[in-house]
Parts: sequence; structure tokens; C-alpha cells
Amino acid sequence: MAKILVATFPDTDHLLGAVRKARREMFRVYDVFTPFPVHGLDEALGVRRTRLPWVTLFCALTGLTTAIVLQGYTNVLDWPLNVGGKPDNSTLAFIPICFELSVLFGGLGSVAALLLRARLYPGKTAWLVNPGITDDVFAMVVRRPSDDETHQRALALLEECGAASVTESEAEL
Amino acid sequence: MDKLPEDATEPRWTTGSPTLHQITVDIAAPMEGKPGRLWYACFTVSVALLLVLLATATYLIARGIGIWGLNNSVGWAFDITNFVFWIGIGHAGTLISAILLLFRQRWRNSINRSAEAMTIFAVMCAGLFPLLHMGRPWNFFFILPYFPNQHGPLWVNFRSPLVWDVFAISTYFTISLVFWYLGLIPDLATMRDRAVGKIKKLVFGILSMGWNGSHRTWSRYEIVSMILAGLATPLVLSVHSIVSMDFATSVVPGWHTTIFPPYFVAGAIYSGFGMVMTLLILTRQSMNLQRYITKRHLDSMARVLLLTGSIVGFAYATEFFSAWYGHDLYERYHFINRATGPYRWAFYLMVLCNVLTPQLYWFKKVRNSVAILFITSIMVNIGMWFERFVIIVVSLHRAFLPSGWGMFYPTIFDIAILVGVFGLFFTLFLLFIRFAPMIAAWEVKGVAVDQAHTAGHGAEGGHRG
Amino acid sequence: MERASPPAPEYWQSVDEREHGSRDRGEFPGGLPVGNADDKRERSATGGGDPDGDHTRRDFLGLMGFGAAAATMAACRAPETKAVPIAVATDDMVPGVPNHYATTCGGCASACSLLVKQRDGRPIKIEGNELSTLFGGATCATGQATVLSLYDEERLREPHWEGKPAAWHDIDDRIAAGLDDVRARQGKVVLLSTTITSPTLLAVIERWRKAFPSFRHVTYDPVSASALRAAAAQAFGRPLIPHYAFDRAKVIVGIDADFLGTWLSPVEFARQYARSRTVEQPAGLHVQFEPGMSVTGSNADQRVAVAPSQLGAVAAALLARIAKKAGEADAAAPSDPVKPAILDAVADELWKHRGDSLVVTGASDTATQLVVLTLNRLLGNVGKTLDVDRPSLQRQGDDAAMAELVGDMESGNVHAVILHGVNPVYDYVDGEKFKTALSRVGLSIATADRMDETAAAVKAVCPDHHFLESWGDAEPVAGMLSLSQPLIAPLFDTRSVVDSLVRWLGEPAAHYEVLRDHWRTEVMPRLSGARDFDSFWDQTLERGVLELGGAAPASGAAATGGDWRGAVAAIQADSQRAPQGDRYELALFESVAMRDGKNANNPWLLEMPDPITKLSWSNVAMIAPATARQLGLSDGDIVSLATAGGASVEVPVFTQPGQHPRTLSVAVGWGRRQVGKAGNHVGGNGFPLSSLVRGARRMWAEVTIKPTGAHDKLAEAQWHFSQEGRPIVLETTREELARGGEKPEELANLWTERPMGERLWGMTIDLNACTGCSACVIACQAENNVAVIGKDQVQRQRIMHWIRIDRYYNGSEDEPRAVHQPMMCQHCGHAPCETVCPVLATTTSSEGLNQQVYNRCIGTRYCANNCPYKVRRFNWYNYTDNPKYDYNMANPVGRLVLNPDVTVRSRGVMEKCSMCVQRIAAGKNASVKTGKPLEDGQIKTACQQVCPTDAIVFGDLNDKQSRVHKLASSERTYRVLDDLGTRPNVSYLKKVRHGQAT
Repeated sequence: MAKILVATFPDTDHLLGAVRKARREMFRVYDVFTPFPVHGLDEALGVRRTRLPWVTLFCALTGLTTAIVLQGYTNVLDWPLNVGGKPDNSTLAFIPICFELSVLFGGLGSVAALLLRARLYPGKTAWLVNPGITDDVFAMVVRRPSDDETHQRALALLEECGAASVTESEAEL
Repeated sequence: MDKLPEDATEPRWTTGSPTLHQITVDIAAPMEGKPGRLWYACFTVSVALLLVLLATATYLIARGIGIWGLNNSVGWAFDITNFVFWIGIGHAGTLISAILLLFRQRWRNSINRSAEAMTIFAVMCAGLFPLLHMGRPWNFFFILPYFPNQHGPLWVNFRSPLVWDVFAISTYFTISLVFWYLGLIPDLATMRDRAVGKIKKLVFGILSMGWNGSHRTWSRYEIVSMILAGLATPLVLSVHSIVSMDFATSVVPGWHTTIFPPYFVAGAIYSGFGMVMTLLILTRQSMNLQRYITKRHLDSMARVLLLTGSIVGFAYATEFFSAWYGHDLYERYHFINRATGPYRWAFYLMVLCNVLTPQLYWFKKVRNSVAILFITSIMVNIGMWFERFVIIVVSLHRAFLPSGWGMFYPTIFDIAILVGVFGLFFTLFLLFIRFAPMIAAWEVKGVAVDQAHTAGHGAEGGHRG
Repeated sequence: MERASPPAPEYWQSVDEREHGSRDRGEFPGGLPVGNADDKRERSATGGGDPDGDHTRRDFLGLMGFGAAAATMAACRAPETKAVPIAVATDDMVPGVPNHYATTCGGCASACSLLVKQRDGRPIKIEGNELSTLFGGATCATGQATVLSLYDEERLREPHWEGKPAAWHDIDDRIAAGLDDVRARQGKVVLLSTTITSPTLLAVIERWRKAFPSFRHVTYDPVSASALRAAAAQAFGRPLIPHYAFDRAKVIVGIDADFLGTWLSPVEFARQYARSRTVEQPAGLHVQFEPGMSVTGSNADQRVAVAPSQLGAVAAALLARIAKKAGEADAAAPSDPVKPAILDAVADELWKHRGDSLVVTGASDTATQLVVLTLNRLLGNVGKTLDVDRPSLQRQGDDAAMAELVGDMESGNVHAVILHGVNPVYDYVDGEKFKTALSRVGLSIATADRMDETAAAVKAVCPDHHFLESWGDAEPVAGMLSLSQPLIAPLFDTRSVVDSLVRWLGEPAAHYEVLRDHWRTEVMPRLSGARDFDSFWDQTLERGVLELGGAAPASGAAATGGDWRGAVAAIQADSQRAPQGDRYELALFESVAMRDGKNANNPWLLEMPDPITKLSWSNVAMIAPATARQLGLSDGDIVSLATAGGASVEVPVFTQPGQHPRTLSVAVGWGRRQVGKAGNHVGGNGFPLSSLVRGARRMWAEVTIKPTGAHDKLAEAQWHFSQEGRPIVLETTREELARGGEKPEELANLWTERPMGERLWGMTIDLNACTGCSACVIACQAENNVAVIGKDQVQRQRIMHWIRIDRYYNGSEDEPRAVHQPMMCQHCGHAPCETVCPVLATTTSSEGLNQQVYNRCIGTRYCANNCPYKVRRFNWYNYTDNPKYDYNMANPVGRLVLNPDVTVRSRGVMEKCSMCVQRIAAGKNASVKTGKPLEDGQIKTACQQVCPTDAIVFGDLNDKQSRVHKLASSERTYRVLDDLGTRPNVSYLKKVRHGQAT
């Protein structure tokens, strides 16, 4: 368990300001909680760009391979039949399904990856730093400085950044 | 979003500047309060129609598709017409949610959720027909490449457009469903946190997967939404292209045409937007959401209808031209027959609804009148249904050998299935707007904040989504 | 009943009678465990196995056939009998392997020789006997369908006395008593029968003549050649029907004689006709004068629509011209009913081909017939194209005698009447009159196979066997004999008419004995170089046909000529009185499907599209389009056609191009009231509108047309009759062929050729030979278990026939030219249907067949949509074993006709022509077994086998020597819709247009 400070803000501008300032002041901003994606936070927080697109690419390629193997095996290798005199390997006719399976695998793969990475799963109990998060509250979470003097500085900083409330709490970080 | 056209600063994407909390309350209202009379009226009718569908489908499977008006000359009619029609309806949903997302058209935000829902329900309706139209529906699984199967190493024919359909439709349905659900999660969380009842808490709790609005999640979440949008866009185009290949890859005059894929996609978007228009007007009236589904939205959709409608009209003209220019005996006859044959009434109805009607949208007055928009949007739906009817039945009833010519006359059961499916669709949709957040609250909040900015200290819309 | 008793052990070994034991050993011990006493005697007589207990095929059939019936009639028979047939197997019979037995067709009086396919003890397919010089291997639609009539569950299952079932011995006693009474009172006994071609039966009738001094045998045909016989009596001094030879005639003039469809002996005539009109031969000419379009007219080089009242005038006009040329002075010159130019041209052609021309007429007017016979005489055709020394015996009905008989019966001068094969209450000029007359006869007996209109009005109904259950013989043409043998033991408790007649004379002999005796004493002596009877008998029985060679017996036909000038005058008088104003002429004719209505309960025939109108499930009043417009009538409007005499018929009208504007044509044979659930009240009965004029039955009448306001949805099998200028039926001329028609260039193949088997099955169809007679349609239906779906479904355009005959018109609606095109699965090399099937339910076999896999099909119908030829058929409902479609497949007896080699299709699957793949398989098996390679022509499809004109040829296209290959590469060959790149294995030979006579 670690001690944390939860500062809530009325709107995005104050939030952004606070985040920037806090990090300039070398406070460890753990995370920010918002009702909707606030833009500019990525830079402010310095979040690295996610690697999820690579997962998508990989899954899509898997789908493509599956399609090629499935159609090739069934219609060319396993049991070729004379269908309207067309060649066993009617490549052009196989393209649509190749595309579809790529999209299917790619899409499902990325969503699965997201849920895994963000540790979201049905029935998980949400850890809410403030009940209003999903409504209209913007909250910033910083580690509670160990030494009292910095702690005071932090409170002062949050104060001047227009925090509506600052509460102390504990959480698994 | 980019600068608003000056004529449209008012009404805006959301009327007034409600506080974030206000938005939450408004959007949650339909689910928490009692719905209006209109809703109950619609729901009763829909359920009645749904029962008609169930009864007819049962009889159909018990007796055989002979109860339809099909015959040796016309092997497909209402069944496949309905199939293509509903698939087409679905496309607008994906288009609004995915393509507009890619194009950063944030005005989509208050309508995309219901549009996506519409997509899913429409695809469900469409999916019925490949099953119902089979001679032996209980053997539908023959069409899947499963192994081992007791018929020996017996596979499917990947050269057949019908098999492409199976893959395309199921992929399309899956991706749309996932996309839609992903978008729902934050709002489900909102509902969870507002919920008072135990059950509601529990249900929304499970469904919202422990969402807590963490920004790290938000940023990944948005990337994935973008990826899905990026996948769904070519997907939606491919799906209707493939549906069009059911016809284009055949030899039947009137089907065997290379312009079908783009022509069908345009038609699909056109019909889809028509349906979205109908639904949104119904919704905003029945759920008092005029504030979030503004005339501005309707206006933009009318513009889309105008564009796609004109594309469709152009496609019609092209078909006739190439028939005349192509000098093919059978092709020529088909188009002469289309315009002068026993089904010409269907053809002219289609032209009226799909080519002439949208031209009204050139006028701002029309685009601003909810009543006219509602009526015309229904005409669009009718027109697009008849477009498929013309393509399918008129092509089949007089193909190559005159000795094989015949007529198709629908039976009572054809009609019953046709209307019954609307029952299924609307029942699902009405339940959706009643029990799920039918407007993406979190997205609207984003827009609202932006508007506050643009309106307030006239800074250019800084936020991009 | 006693049939049900289990077999005694000694019957367990059996040997074919044709291989073992002599027949004259008499009865084999015991007789069969089945059947009543009479059956026993008959059977044992037939058997004559060796003392060691050998049995005959007949016995085996007895058990097998009975077993088949028993198995299907568990309802009314003790269950244990089901086991009987399985217990017995002769070395002649292997379960599942069909045998073929020669017999004679009883479908009509033409008496075609047959080779019937019998499998597991039941006949399942009628085929022609190729040893017959008259009919070859050909049969007609009616003949093909007779096998279904055998399995008609509505046949009488036992004799009836006064409408109640009775046992045979009981009936026999009553009849014997009745006859004794008549004999005592020296009363009059009459046998009223349809044309009898069986010499044996005629001999039996002679016995009756001896037994009863006042016995009379009256022959009655509903549609008779009475006038022709009467005319022949004048012209040749003897009532006879000349035996025509169309194959020797270069110029054929038909005056309302549908000799390719229904007249006298259509199968034989169609064969001759096709032979005389092959491309190899010099161009012939066929001109047809007729009121309504007939099969014959649709094939004529020139067809002239003539009102029935003017047919005589046409003949007279021709005669006048020919007589002049022949130097016959004072030839009356009547006014010309049609354009003189045509008549001049026709006369010139006839004269040019003296001796190899032929004029025939089906007119029911003696004068006209006499004029036509005179024409032939003056043209020197007698003895060349028409043979009066060896006349045809196929229609001997005598209208005058019939009329006289009815008179006698009415006045109570007839005390006993036996009705055999006739149904006058339905088809006589005045059925009601006959009925009352019948009620005045003390003892009336009918041998009807069902409780039909007449049988319901007699005392005793003694059902005759179906011809497939019975022994018999026939002599359709003098000196041309044909034997019949049973292919199944009687399904029901019936008895052959010969048996009955002999028995009622109090003589014990059974049919089989009578037959053999007759052949021993009468037939064999006529044969030059008679041998041992048994070998003669066995050979003849095996061959089925016998031609008595040697010089033709002097028929005493002296060409006396007759008073043809008088005839011309009579015609002249008649033709002046053509009805005018609101009175139209009504021409009655036999339709190819129904003929005289005997088979009116046969679902196959009821559903067979008429070769001309393409309508099924009803007869119609064919009316000229112009006349219909003028009267404001459209297809399906039901009109009432009434004569001045008050007779009337209600039928829907159908606008028929080529119909004479003042004439309506209505087919007789429809509108039965008591024939069975399939045939009752289908269409209207036209017979009552005929009339007796000068001793002959006139088959036309003056009628008024009154719309009833009612409307009937016609069951049309083809809706559009124009080719719309599309290259579908191609025609050519001799000139073009001489120049050598340019071959169409082969379309490039988009794909590399696939490896195929050594064989490539293909078919050619000669449009020049096809007459559209539709025998192939029924043959295919019989061979491939094609379902009958009923009027409503046909009307919904769901007809199931695998082969259809497309009929297109070109030219004006007044003078249309018709073409017939058999259309079935074209077995494309690049089949559009296959590519689109999602589940691979249809693919191309290694031998080029487009095969349909029923149990894989899920019924998306995409294949049917994508088939350019629209030959695929879908099972919209379950048409088999479904009370809603209560035809032969819905009852256990009717199902006996099903071919075990062909799957019965279930609901929801697609089906289509398989090129009789089961026959191909059988042929290949045979060649494997015998080790002999398959010869060309060894495998025949059902449609090919039945075709009287040999229009269809099937075989291996890869075999350069095969007929089909040669034909497929002739310059007449083309493929329908070839430009689609479908590469059909079925190709067509262009129709060759002959010259016209103007």
C-alpha cells in the first residue's frame, strides 16, 4: 500500500495546468482520471505511444495466413473437384475471404490486447478515486511525499492550480 | 472539429452549453425515467409484427418455401431482396461510427451509438434470410468449412459468392458488435456509478469491466477505437461489394455487371442514412433528445443523402448506357424490359424515390423541416427496397431462353416475412434506446467542452478526436 | 384371403421356362399357393415345369408380383405374406438386376411391340421392341404412361355384381345362368368391344358366334376410322384401313390427319416420316390442311388453316385437278375453299411424284375419304405408299353398327351385352341415350378395370387384367404379329377377358392354353416352314414379334374405284353450308396426352404439357387470336360451346396461333366423371358435341360461343412463344448445307483444360427430326421418378419435368411456323451452376456429366438462377408421399412404379437431368462383367430410347467412331447459348427448311 493524494478539478484546463506544474515540480503524478479522454494529457503526462497497433498487424497477418491455408488445403489439396471447369487454385476467388479473415482476426486481436493491457474484464470492481469520475470530475493522483515539508508544498501547489478538493488515501500502485 | 460554417453556429451539435453533469443526467434520463407514449405505441406495433415474423417463419420451415411465390424462373425474390436491403441499412451505422471518426467529423458523436446499434440489428435481420431462403435450413451448417464432418472430407466451394457472404457478414457482425460494445464501456461505467438499484449496479458493474476513467486506459482505448474504425471502414465497403458479387459474378443479364460493387456500396450508404434519419427523428421526438440530436445533425445527413442518392442515380444511368453501348442482345433486352416490361411500375417507383426525392435536399428549407425529412427518409427506404427487387426479380423473370420466362407474384407469406422483419428490427431498437445509453455521453462531453472553448475564448477547436 | 397362405417348400427352386422343360408336359404338380382356383389352373397351365418340380418365370412372377402387391397392401392382407417373395428367387432373377421381356402395348389399338424392364418382379419401364419392323424401339407418351396405369390404386380389386363386390365363382354362376336363359329364349347376345387386334381373342369370339346363333360382335371406337373403312369398301370392295408407308412418299398431303400425333399408328408413322425427311434425302414436301394446329401441322413444310366443313372441298378441289391431269373426263370442278394457287401447286407436286406421293385424311366423312382414296388411286400410290393387301387392323370401329346396336338395345332386342374396353356412357355421341338403352338389356357385363361411367351402369363388372399382367397377342397390321406375356402377377383379383369369355362358354381352358392352341393351330401354319411348336413358341415369346413372310394374302381388294363423282357432288353440297355470323365451327380432336380418354386417371399424362399449347391439366377451346380479340375473350375465360342440338361443353379458351378464324378446336378425352381422383372433372367432355352423319361419326359441329364469366388459371408449362430474335433454334437450308455452313469459332478457354476421364458423355438432338411428340418427356419421368405436382403447382410454373419440349413460333399469328426444341440439362463443360453452389452439391464428373448431389444440396437455388437454360427443377414442397400431392407417389400401389436405381428427391433440393447416369453405370458394369468394351449405342438414355424419330443420340464424344461424335462435328451442329462460354456437351442439329408449295 502506498499513500496518495487525490486532487479533483472542475474542468480540463485546471487539470492540465496542474499536471504540467506538478511534473515540473518533480512530483510523481501517478495517473489522471477523467470522464472523457482529455487531449493534451498524453504530452502533459509524457505517456509513451502504445504498441497496440503492432498487435493488430500481427493478428491480421495470422488471419490472412489462416484464410490462405484453409482455402488452399480444402479446395486444392484435400479434395479438388471440377467446379465449372475452373482451376483448383482459383486464386482470385479466394481473395475476399483472405481479406475478411484478416480484418476479423485483427479487430478481435486488438480489442483483446487492450482489455489485457488495461486489465479490464467482466465483473472487475472498479477502483474509483472519486465517485464523480465517470460523471464530471477530473482527478489527478500524486504520491504523497514522505517528508512533511514537501507534502505541504504539494498541497500549496494543488491549491494554486485550482484543485476543488485534495484528499489523502491509499492504493496499490 | 474544424471551423463551423457560419450559417450553422446555431443550432449547434448540442443546443445550449449544458454542464457535464447535465449531459450525464439528460442521457441517462430515458433509462431511468419512464418512456413517453410514443415509445409504447411503437413498441406494441413492433412486437405485434415480430410475432407475425415468428409465426410465418415457423410455418415456412414446416411446409417449405413453396409457400412463397417463387418458381422455376424466379428462384429468388423477396427473400434475397430483404437480405440485401437490411445489409445495406447496416452500412450507414458503420459509416457514421467509423468513417466519420476517421475523418474527425465530431458531429457524429451524439448519433453514432444509435447508428451502430442500428447496424447490429439490421445485420441480425439480414442474417435471417440466408437461413430462411434455404430449401433445407436445418442443413445450413453444410455451408461452413467444418471438420471432421460425417459427409466425408466434404468442404465448401470457396468460389461461390454465397460462401464469401457467410464470411463477410459474420465478420461484419462481429466487428460491429465489438466496436459498439467498446464504445459503450465508459458510459456503462457512468450508469454503474449512478445506479441505485442493486441489480442495476451488479449488471452495469459486470458490463463496464471495472472501468475507472484512468487516462492511461483512455489513450490506449482511443487508439484501439481508431484501429477498429480503420478496419471497419474497408470492411463495410468489402461487405457490400461481396453482396453485390452474388449478382455480379453470375451470368444473368442485369446481374452480370462490373459496376455493381461501387453502385451497391453507394446504395447501401444511401439507404442506411435514410434509415438513420428515420430512427433519429423518431428517437429525438419520443425520448426528448432534441438538444443532442439537433437539426444540424439532420441537415448533415440530408446532405449525405443528396450525395449518395445522386451517385445511385448516376449508377442507374450508367447501367442503361452500357447496355445500349455494349450491344449485348440479352443485356439490352433486360433493360428495355426493366423500363417497359411487366415490372416497370417497380422501376419507376425506384427512380422516383432514389433519384428524384433526394434532389429536394438542395433546398435548405427542406433540410430544416423535420416533417419533410421524416417522410422523404421513409421514401428512401421504400425506394432502396424496390431497387433490390428490380435487380433481382426483373433480371430473373426474363433471362436467356424465352421458354423459361415467367412472372413472380408475391404470396401473403412473402408479405408477412417482409413486414415481420421490421417488427424484429424495431423491437430490438426500441429496447436499446430504453435500456442502454443511446447517446455516447463521454463523447458528447468532449464535444460540449470543445464548444465551450470555441464559443468562450474563441480559441480554435483545440481538441481532436 | 387364400392368396395369403405361405408357399409350400417344393416351390423353392425355380428355373426359367424359356431355358428348361417342354411346355406340353401339362400342369406341374400342385400349382401355386397364391391366387384362387382359377388362377391356379391358369398358372399351372402356363408353367408345365419338369416333374422334378421346376418352376417357370410366370410362377416366380406370380409370387414376386403378388409379394410386391402384398407388401404394399398390408392393410388388406395378412402380414405373413410379405415374406413370400423374398423366399423365392429363380436363377433368372437377381435382386436389383432388371430383366427385359417382350410384350405388346395395350395403351391404344396401335398395339406397339414392347420390351418391358422388369425389376424385382415388377415392371417399371416400358420400352419399344427394336426387333419390330413396324415400330422399332419407339413408343409414344401414352405407351410410356401405361405402366403407371397398372399401378393405379383405383382399379377394381375384385369383380362386382350390381355394384357390390362378389367372388368370381359367384359372378360366373350368375352370368352362366343369365346366358343360359338368353340361349333358351334365343335372345340376342352382343359383344361390344373396342378395336380388337388380338387374333386369339377374335378366335374366341368366333366360338361365341357358334355358341349363340344370334351373337353379334360390334366394334366401337370413340374416335373411329369408320368413314375410311366405309370409303375403302366402295373403292376396294372391302372395308379396310390401308397400311400407309410415309417413308416411301416424297410428297405428303395431310387433310386433318394428325398422323404424327394420334392418327391410326402415330409411332410407326413418325418413324417413317422422319426416315423420309433426313437431310441426306432429296427434299420432300409435306402440306397439311387442318383447322387447328396439330403436331403434324406444326411439322409440315406448309400448313393451311381450313375449317372442318371445307376439308372435303379441299380434297375435292385437289381431285378435280389431278383427275384433269389423269385425263379423267368430266371431273367436276368444285369451288376452291383456299387460295387456288396453293391447290394448283400442291396438285402439280403430287402429279410430279405420282407413285411416291401420299394423301391422307382423318376426316370423319365417307365422301371425303373416298375422294382421297381416289386421289391416291389416280396418283398410282395404291400398292406403293398405301398397301391394301396387308391392311392395318388398328381401328376397326364401325359407327353405323354401333348406332344400330344402340337402337336395338333401346327397343329391347338385345338380351345380353358384354362391354369390353369401351365406355360409351362417357364417349358415345349421346351417353345418356346409351345408358338408358343399356338399362333395357337383361344381362350387361363390363370388363372395365374401374368403376367408370359405363361400368357403373351394368350388372356385372368383371375387371380385365392390365395388359402387363396378362398373356395375349396382337396383329396390328395383317401378317405382323406380336405376343404379350405377363410381367407381374395380377395385383388385384382380376381376370383376363379371354379367360372370362371362354369360361362363360363353359369351357375350362385358360387364357394361356387358348393362346398357345391358337398359335399352334392358326399362326404357325401361316408361317412358311413350320417347325417344332415349342421352339417356335419360345423364340417368338422371346423376340415378341413375328412377321409372316411370303406373298401377301389376296385381300380381294379390287380397285373398283367407287362413285367418287357422287362423293364430290355430296361434298360440294355440304361445303356450301359453312356456318356464319355467331355460329362457329368446333373441331373435335384427340390430344396427344389424353387420346380418347381411356387413360384419363394417369397423372403423368394429365401433367404432360400438350405439344402445341403447352398446357396441362385441362383441355381448352383453341381460338384464333383475331377471333378472341373480336369476341373480347382472353386465355382462361371459360366459354360454353353449344350446338343447336343442345349438347354443350364448358372449357377455357386459349388463343392459338394458326387456328382457323371461324373454328375452335377442343380435344376430346377430357372431362371424365368417374375415372379416379386425379382425372375426374378435369377439363370438359367434347364427345357429346359430335354427331352421326351418314353412318359416320362427325367429329365437328356448329356451335355458338357463350362466355360463362368464369375464369380458369391455365396450367401453362411455357409462357412465352417467341424467340425474340435470339439464336436459340437455328434453321438452315439445303443450299446453305451444300455450300457448307461456316463453323462457329471455338471460344477461348480462360483456364487450363482440366484432366478428364477417357470418356466424355454427350448428346446431339436433331431439330430436323424432332416432331415434338413429347414421348421423351414421359419416358424421362418414368425412368427418373420425376414427381407429379398437380395443376396448382404447374400453374405456379413449378413443373418438374427434367426434359421439356420448347415450342416457338415465327411468322404471323395467322400462319405461324412452329419449331420444337427438346431442352434439358446441357451438361456444360464450364457450368455456371457449379461455380455458384456454396456447398459443392453440383460438380462436373470426370466423364463430363454435370452431377447433382441431392443429399448435399441445401437449396439456395443459386444454381437455378444462374442456369442460362433454366433446366433445373426445385422441390418447393415435399412432393412424394404427401397427401397434398395425392398422385402416384402418395400411395403404396402407385409407388411400385418407382425406379429403384434413382433417388426419390426430398423437399428443398434441386434436381435436373442426369443423362440417365444410372443407365451409364449399368452399361459400364455390364462391360466390366463381360469384359467386352462398351460399344457405341450400348447405353441409351430414356429419352433417346423412346424417340420414334431417332432425334436424340447419346454417346461418348471422345470416341471418334461414335455416332454422337460424328453428328456433333457435322456442319449442322450448334450449341445453344454457346457464346456464354458454357461449353455444353449437348449439341443441336439445325432444322432444315424444305421448300414451300407456292
